[in-house]
Amino acid sequence: MSDVLIADDSEFMRNLLREILEEDHNIVGEVENGVEAVETYKEQHPDLVMMDIVMPIRDGIEATDEIKNSNPDANVIMCTSVGQEEKMKEAVRAGADGYITKPFQKPSVMEAIEDVVPS
Amino acid sequence: MKVDVKSLGTFNRLAHEGAEQATASLCQMTGLDAVVDVTKITLVNRADVGDQLSDGDYVGVQFEFDGELAGDTVLVFDRSGSETIVDSLVPGGAEDDAMARSSVEEIGNIMMSGFIDGWADFLETTIEHSPPTYVEGDGAAMLPEPPNDEERDQVFVFKSEIEWIGESVSFYIYMFPEYDPLADVMARTGGTEDDAIPIDKLEVFNEMTKDGTQQAAANVEMMTGIETEAEVTRLSFAPIEDVPKQVGTDTYVGTVVEFTGIPSGFLLVLFDEASAVHIAEAMMPVEMDEDELTDQHKSAIEELGNIMTSGFVDGWANVLQTSVEHTPPRLVHDMGQAIVDPLAAQVGQHQEHAFIIDSEMRTDDIEFGAEIHALPNEKELRQALDELLVERADETQADVEKIF
Amino acid sequence: MKVYDGTTADSEPATPPERVKVGIAESKVTDGDAVLTTSGLGSCLGVAVYDGSAAVAGLVHAMLPSIDEMEGTNEAKFADSGIRHLVAELEKRGGDREHMEAKLAGGSDMLDFSENGSGIGVRNVEMGRRTLAEFDIPVVGEDVGGDHGRSLRLESANGDLIVKSANRDPITL
Repeated sequence: MSDVLIADDSEFMRNLLREILEEDHNIVGEVENGVEAVETYKEQHPDLVMMDIVMPIRDGIEATDEIKNSNPDANVIMCTSVGQEEKMKEAVRAGADGYITKPFQKPSVMEAIEDVVPS
Repeated sequence: MKVDVKSLGTFNRLAHEGAEQATASLCQMTGLDAVVDVTKITLVNRADVGDQLSDGDYVGVQFEFDGELAGDTVLVFDRSGSETIVDSLVPGGAEDDAMARSSVEEIGNIMMSGFIDGWADFLETTIEHSPPTYVEGDGAAMLPEPPNDEERDQVFVFKSEIEWIGESVSFYIYMFPEYDPLADVMARTGGTEDDAIPIDKLEVFNEMTKDGTQQAAANVEMMTGIETEAEVTRLSFAPIEDVPKQVGTDTYVGTVVEFTGIPSGFLLVLFDEASAVHIAEAMMPVEMDEDELTDQHKSAIEELGNIMTSGFVDGWANVLQTSVEHTPPRLVHDMGQAIVDPLAAQVGQHQEHAFIIDSEMRTDDIEFGAEIHALPNEKELRQALDELLVERADETQADVEKIF
Repeated sequence: MKVYDGTTADSEPATPPERVKVGIAESKVTDGDAVLTTSGLGSCLGVAVYDGSAAVAGLVHAMLPSIDEMEGTNEAKFADSGIRHLVAELEKRGGDREHMEAKLAGGSDMLDFSENGSGIGVRNVEMGRRTLAEFDIPVVGEDVGGDHGRSLRLESANGDLIVKSANRDPITL
C-alpha cells in the first residue's frame, strides 16, 4: 500500500481517482493546483503523485519539475486529458515517471502505478 | 487555389446583399416581413450539406447558373412557411396544389434573379440562370445532385438564413459555386498574396478537425458508455458580429477554454440542458436520478468538456509538431448566444471577420447532442496553415509508449 | 389582466405592438409604440434611449467599446459611435437630446480571458456612460456587469426596458 497524493482541478476526476485507488492505496491528500501539489508533497512525502497537467495557478509540468528538483526519487505519474506529443516530451524532461491519458480505464491506471511503485 | 480573407469577406458581403435583395422582393410581393439573419461561407463535405435540413418537410426551387460564376442555387422554405407565402399572394391558393406550386416557382424565380444579379453586377458581367425547378421533400431532396465528375469531397457553400419576423421558422438560400470558376474569380478579387490561404490546406485542416471530433466522441463514449458518433464538421467564414448567432438563444451547459499557441483562440463544448443532465448521469458511479442540473452534474460536465477539448486540439498540435496550451475549462450555463458573444468580441478586437469551426455529435441511444465550436484568431490560424505539412495530416495521435 | 412576458398590462391593446428585432451590431429607432428586442448580450452592451415628450425610442446592441480602436465602418458595432448614431436618428424623428433618458444593460464580464486590464464588458459600460455624458443624457436605469447573459425588450410606448436572464427573474428598468 503506497501513499498517494492526487492533484487535479476537477472535483469529478479527484473522486473518480480516489474510488479507483483507495482500495489498494492510502490517499494522503487531494489538491487542486500545482502550488498546492508542491506544498503538500513537501509536507507529506507521498510515494506517488497523480498529477494533472492543465490546472490553474501552476500547471502540473512545472509542479513536477519542482518536486523532482527537491527530491529526484519522487514518483510522479501525469494523469491528463492532454494527448500532445510535445507535452509528453515536456513531461519527460520535467522528470515524470509515467503518463496516463484521460479518459482512462481502471486497469490501465493500476498498471501504470504498478510500473512506477511496484507493490 | 488560394483564397484570401479579403476576398472571402467580399464574397460573404455579396451573398448577404443578394439574400437581402431577394428577401426584399419577397416582402414586397407578399406583404410579409422577413430579415436576413446570417450569411456564411462554409467549407464542408458535399454529402453533409443537407444535414441541417434533414428533419423536415420542405418545398423550394432550384436553379442552375452559368457565366463567370457557375453552379446551382436553391431556395428552401419549410412547407408551412411556403403556405403562408402562397396564401398571401393568392388567398386560399395553398389549398390548390398546382396553384401553390406555380406560386412558389414564380416567387422563387423573382427572388433568385435578384440574388444572381447582385453577383453579376459585382463581377461586371452577365450570369445566366435556368428556369426554376420545383422541388419538395426532406433536406437531402432539396439540394441539387452533386456533379458526377466531382473530384472533391469538400465544397464551398454560401448559405443565408432568413427569418420571418414574429415566427419561429426560417428559410434558406444556398449557393453551390463550381470550384474552378470560383477559384478564378477569387483569385481576381483577392488582395495581397501575403494573406492568401491555400485551399488544400484548409481542406486538410478540416479533415484534422474531423479526426479531432471523432476523438472527442470516442472520449465521450469511453466516459459514459454511450455510443457516440461524430457527425458534421465544417469550417465557416462570417462577419464577427454574426458569430454569436451560430449558436441559438436556447440555454446551454458546457465549457469554454482559451487556447494559445499555433493556432490560438477559444473552444466551446456545449450541451443542451437535457443532454447535459443525461450525460452527467451516465458519468456518475452512482445513480442520481435528478432531472435538474446539480453541482455534481456540473463538475462531471466540466471534466468531460476538458477531455473533449483535449481530444479536439491534440490532433492539431501533433500534426503541427507543436504544443497547444489551454486554460482550465470554465463552466458555462447560459443562453447560447450570450456565451459566444464575449468570445467573438475578444477575437473581434483584432479582426472584422472570423473563421468558425463547428462540429456536432449525436447518439441514438438517448436524447443527447453535443456541439464543439472553435473560434481561432486569424493570424495564428494563418500561421498554423502555413506551417502545416499536408503529408503529416494523419499524424493526429501521439504514442505514449514511444515516449515513456 | 393579461400577462406579457413578465410584465403586466392593465388593459389589452387593440392590436399588439409591432416587434422589431435588433441584431448584434445593429440599432433601430421607432416613433410608434413598437417593441424593440435584442437577445444574447454577453459582454455586449444594450443602450436604450427614450424621449417621452416626442414619443421616440431606440435601442443599439454594441459589441466593442470604440470605433477609434478599429477600422470598422459599422457604427452600431461600437458603443461610442453606436450611441452617437442612435441619438442622431432619434433627433431626425423629432427627438430632443435635452429630453432623452437612457438605460444600459449588458456588459457582463462572463468568459473574460484577459489577464490584465479590464475586460470588454467593463469597457463597453464605461464607454456607454461616457458617450451619453457627452450629450448630457442621464442614465436612469442600469443592469450591467455580473457573469450572466441578458436579453432586452424596450417598450417604446413607455420607455420600460425589461431585462431577462437565463437563471434569474426578469427585471424592469
